[in-house]
Amino acid sequence: MRQWNREALRYPFYVILHPFNGYWDLKYERSRRLNLILSLAILCLLALTNILQTQYSGFVVNLVYPDSINSLMEIVYVFVPVLFWCVANWSLTTLMDGEGKFRDIFASTCFALAPLVVIHFPWIWLSNVISLQEVPFYRFSTSVALLWSAFLLFVGNMTVHQYSPMKTIGMIILTLVAMGFMAFLCLLFFSLIQQIVSFVSIIYQEIALRG
Amino acid sequence: MLALLRRTKSHLLIAAACLLGTSLGGGIAGAEDTAGSYNYSFWGDTVSAPAAYQATELLGGDDLGAGALKEPSDLHVTDDGEIYLLDSGNNRVLVLGPGFKLDRVIDSFERDGKRETFSNPQGLFVTDDKELVVADTGHKRVVRLDREGGLRQVVENPTSEFLAEGFSFSPVRVVVDKAQRMYVMAAGVFDGFMEFSSSGDFTSFIGANRVYFNPMDHLWKMLSTKAQRSQMVMFTPTEYTNLDIDEEGFLYATNGQVTDSVRKLNAQGTDILRREGYFAPEGDIYYTIEDGPARLVDIDVGDSEMYSILDASRGRIFTYNGDGHFMYVFGGIGNQLGEFKNPTAVDRLGEDFLVLDKALGELTVFRTTEYGRTLNEAVRSYYRGDEEQAYEKYRQTIQMNANLEFAYSGIGKALLRQGDYRESMAYFKQSMDQEGYSKSFLLYRKQVLRSHFATIMSVVLALAAGYAIFRKYRKAKGGGKVAAMES
Repeated sequence: MRQWNREALRYPFYVILHPFNGYWDLKYERSRRLNLILSLAILCLLALTNILQTQYSGFVVNLVYPDSINSLMEIVYVFVPVLFWCVANWSLTTLMDGEGKFRDIFASTCFALAPLVVIHFPWIWLSNVISLQEVPFYRFSTSVALLWSAFLLFVGNMTVHQYSPMKTIGMIILTLVAMGFMAFLCLLFFSLIQQIVSFVSIIYQEIALRG
Repeated sequence: MLALLRRTKSHLLIAAACLLGTSLGGGIAGAEDTAGSYNYSFWGDTVSAPAAYQATELLGGDDLGAGALKEPSDLHVTDDGEIYLLDSGNNRVLVLGPGFKLDRVIDSFERDGKRETFSNPQGLFVTDDKELVVADTGHKRVVRLDREGGLRQVVENPTSEFLAEGFSFSPVRVVVDKAQRMYVMAAGVFDGFMEFSSSGDFTSFIGANRVYFNPMDHLWKMLSTKAQRSQMVMFTPTEYTNLDIDEEGFLYATNGQVTDSVRKLNAQGTDILRREGYFAPEGDIYYTIEDGPARLVDIDVGDSEMYSILDASRGRIFTYNGDGHFMYVFGGIGNQLGEFKNPTAVDRLGEDFLVLDKALGELTVFRTTEYGRTLNEAVRSYYRGDEEQAYEKYRQTIQMNANLEFAYSGIGKALLRQGDYRESMAYFKQSMDQEGYSKSFLLYRKQVLRSHFATIMSVVLALAAGYAIFRKYRKAKGGGKVAAMES
């Protein structure tokens, strides 16, 4: 059991350092359960990192209006975009001969976010002991984390769906467009629901007051 | 939009509080307990502040013993406290001595054996030698009289290759620097101020405003034909609305722009105003679309680089320190003491302020409250480099107004100078001053590392040794586990 835990901990690091082999393993070799647990763990850690970042980052890199800090929203900002991305990507790749199943897409996306945790988390504490002159290092690291994640997302998508690089880039762009569509549809849906609810409640009011 | 509305609402509230404050205050200077002013926090929230100045006296022409004033337009106070008041409608200059007693009236001068008068003069200035310079707008000339009232110089019809043929010189405001150069703000001139040498010759324009235009207008202009374009209004820089000069010879000027409406010009005409405050030093940062932005009509530079601007549309006088931090605001439009109808000029009389109302022809005297005095003194001590005193005064200031965020930075700087880095970091944080914080943090970090060098090094060495021993132990226990790990 101890052995298994140890390996499970090393596995995400292996994936982000050797993405081509790692994602192949993720799709064909590893157990689904382990993938799912690790994916959710990474998402939770990312949300936690973001929350801690707004609260505890050093003063020289973190000017945040106290009233705007909202931990629940930080969680939503992590989970919702990931779900949107996965659903949009799955919907498109199913039509476009992608070999990835939804669980593969989800796991590959979550693993791709691991560098954000690995790099940002130590910087929360390190940023408290830097001066303004050292802030460029902070900015550089955070940019590296973002680029690394983007690269992993790209490799993950390519491996999971067995696409060519150009097709992957095309799919990523299409996925972003599809996410926009989904956001629009969601807004439409919610505002319609709102209208219906208010319509029904007004009718009820009208009847109750006249009856 | 919603945010704007909310701001406006809070503004109205403050304005209401202001009205209440002045009416309750009863015009006694030193009534610090009356809340009545506001300030802006780092995040742009409007926070309440105690009044720094309160109106104590209202002086009409009859009170001065000179008959009613008619559209007075400018005001100048000399270093020894003489007040020169330009009564434009009556074409005369009133000179007031101590206690606002009328000392003399200047309404004419002798030129080539004939007595000449002024015609609707708009601006005046008094040099250190008590020479009176009047922008005699109606006669299109600038008149310079010596301290006895004798004519010294008349500047009219300037000629130069820079000036267009048939240029009509209508001076509106004027200042003179220590080298006796004269800077004239003339109506209809878009190239900046007109600079005249001490002999009265036009030398050059200085400090033209930048051209601002609407992107939509630009698009239309691009789409139009040449013939259409020649019919359109040209994009020209905005005109200045007023100017003042400080002890070091820098010009402070206001113009009618929405942004960059306050400028500090050096001898080359470059803007060197420091804008290190939380917001640009240009009056209210929130306003409704109907009211529009501040309409700045006068600027007054005091000692220690403090300067005040007068917003005629809301009748408020805003004061900033040399770094551009917003210190305090007072005034308003209304019918009560301390409020105006059409304020046109502001000047300092020692610690006090004089504000001239053009429509009512009255002079309002504002005196400092204890809060205002303390804050002024704090800014002055800091400017002088007297850290001890600045620290004391800033401390007293924040006791009276905990919302004054830049004061914490002043305390932080004093503590930094005294070597109390840890404490100064806390103060810099309070005033959201990242630069100051970083500066004291660097010193603090150095101090901590130096004083705990032995401990830190021992811990590092102990950890390294511990790790080496641990690895040896693992190896000795058997390679099986390590091999499994690496697979």
